[in-house]
Amino acid sequence: MYAFLRFEGRRIFGERKNLIFLGFISLFSAYFIWSGLNEYRQFHAEKKIFLKFEKERIKQIVNYAQYGVFGFRLLYEASPLNLFFVNSSVLQDVESNIDSLEAIKVESSFKGKKLFLTRGYFKDFAGIPFIFGSLFMLYLGHLALVSPAYLRFMTGRMALKKYYALTTAARLFWLNLFFVALGLGLFFLVQLGGVVFSGAEKKIFFSYLLFLVLLLDFFYLLGQLTSVLVRFRKVFFLWFFIVWFFCIFLLPEINRISVFNKARVLESAEKVNLEKFRTLMALEKKFRDYLKVNPATPLDQIRQMQKKFAVQFINSSYLVNTGLETKYLRDVERVIAGHERQSVIFPTTFYHFLTGEASGKGYYGYLDFMDYIMKLRNRFMHFYLEKRYEGNESTVESFVKNDENIFRSRSRLPKTFWLGLLATVFYGAVFLVLAYWLLRRQVFLP
Amino acid sequence: MIALKNLAMEKDDFYLSALSLEVAAGEIYFLLNRLDQDNDFLFRTLSGFQAAGSGEISYDGNRFLGAKHPQTVVFIERVNDRADFDTEARLGQWFDFLCAQGLGREDIFKTLLVGNFHERQLKKMVRDLAPETFKLAYLAICLAANSANVVINNFIKGSGKNFELKFNKLLLQQKAAGRAILFLGSDIFYASEIADRVGFLKNGRLMFEAAAADLKEMDIKDLYLKFLN
Repeated sequence: MYAFLRFEGRRIFGERKNLIFLGFISLFSAYFIWSGLNEYRQFHAEKKIFLKFEKERIKQIVNYAQYGVFGFRLLYEASPLNLFFVNSSVLQDVESNIDSLEAIKVESSFKGKKLFLTRGYFKDFAGIPFIFGSLFMLYLGHLALVSPAYLRFMTGRMALKKYYALTTAARLFWLNLFFVALGLGLFFLVQLGGVVFSGAEKKIFFSYLLFLVLLLDFFYLLGQLTSVLVRFRKVFFLWFFIVWFFCIFLLPEINRISVFNKARVLESAEKVNLEKFRTLMALEKKFRDYLKVNPATPLDQIRQMQKKFAVQFINSSYLVNTGLETKYLRDVERVIAGHERQSVIFPTTFYHFLTGEASGKGYYGYLDFMDYIMKLRNRFMHFYLEKRYEGNESTVESFVKNDENIFRSRSRLPKTFWLGLLATVFYGAVFLVLAYWLLRRQVFLP
Repeated sequence: MIALKNLAMEKDDFYLSALSLEVAAGEIYFLLNRLDQDNDFLFRTLSGFQAAGSGEISYDGNRFLGAKHPQTVVFIERVNDRADFDTEARLGQWFDFLCAQGLGREDIFKTLLVGNFHERQLKKMVRDLAPETFKLAYLAICLAANSANVVINNFIKGSGKNFELKFNKLLLQQKAAGRAILFLGSDIFYASEIADRVGFLKNGRLMFEAAAADLKEMDIKDLYLKFLN
């Protein structure tokens, strides 16, 4: 085995074009990490401004009626791991406004600097090994077995099975070592740059790295298989791009379109908002009707009635609206769970899902954000109604304590992580065995 | 000793009818055949990479037939394209690897020295070697196996006279060492020069067999027209 490791190491790292490609991957990965780190720092600077602005804003609000209408903003802060996946996340920089209105808004601002933040596909650390690493591994898989003539020659020195297995193992060892070293090296550098990761985040990054390496091994074995399937002919390069394009772009896109189609069963968010608005307005109408019937009601009695209606609102209409929103959210969750299950089927589709979730701005991050919004909103509504109808209106007290208006999303691994990993290993094993079986038939002719 | 007994097969355009021959230790047997692809086919069969139809192939009395490569025999293939052997490693690294698999470095260099091989070639990638340097390196690896039987497929075809002379020297060394050598080729003049015995294969049949010494007294042109045209 040692001789194989030595020889394959020399084959891979002694070839100039391989070194250029590996250098290119390292350089671009480092560049995107640096860029991600800058964005991370920029976000934290913006966050400080945001918190300062929100504190200033509350001071300007005159009464609780205004506070109820304007509310306060809630900022989505992704986990520090996001700097590795800035462009692989599902959500962009988002925020929400917590107020007494019926609709829950989750929006992304493109104002000012943020307009220039949009990067486009694959331009982050996760994207570089995915696009260029897969291309490189496919190519190295193709080169591994050299040619049938070479294999016949080597079979004179050792059994084909032994040569095939040890060559594959040795090449994968070096290539995996390179990508693991690259990932860990950059992770370490980021920590030197002042970013602190929790134990759970470290575990998630290492798990991601494990999947990345297995995904790249999958491409290596696919390259080997493709090469055997086209019988080592030059036409390989045509197939090479077709296979690569299919795996990297087409399948994830088909998966995305599929989830979009499945999401069509969801009711329109506008419809839900309208329904909530109707519930709210029904109560408003009831109050207006009461005033029409009793036009001479004194002001303090109107105030008492307002309070009564507010309590009634909290106990009925508000609960109905919250129920509608929760039901809607659970429907969205079902679509996400279906998407997750479907992503497991193929390694590249799962990689997209995994990086999204590891970024802290994935689908489940969105669900957590919505749950947080609803909880906060519920508390805010009680606070607002209590202060408005029972409290002293001379000064407006801020609802936000500490930095409650920052939602800290955590990175996570999909629930199906191990299943996705197993599926990738299974694909790799099938390719390995199939390539050997076909290769044997090419070397030993019937 | 190499022995073929009633070896017969039919595959695509290739046809072989009950070929029987024996190559004794210290003998070079040249089997002449007009078509290179027929030689390739027979070579693949003898080396176990092509299943034979019926009959028997034995090396030193060990019978062998089918999809199994006999590790105890040296097979020297016609290697014209270096790209087929481009491992993207340097020649010296390739030698290191093969030596780690049990080949003797001294044995490799013994052959290389006969071919005036220069050490600086070891630092070159296989694809950057001159065609004949590559052939020499290939030959050195094959012969380092030190087997009693050698099967060669038209190895010198396309090579210059200089390389041919070096190869002949090596071949005669192998013969002197008591190895049984079966040479598959199409060059009757070369056969008469190097071999002890020559067989003519035409349309899958062994038509004529003669000692090389006798061949020199015959009309080679006539033989060529009769069996190889």
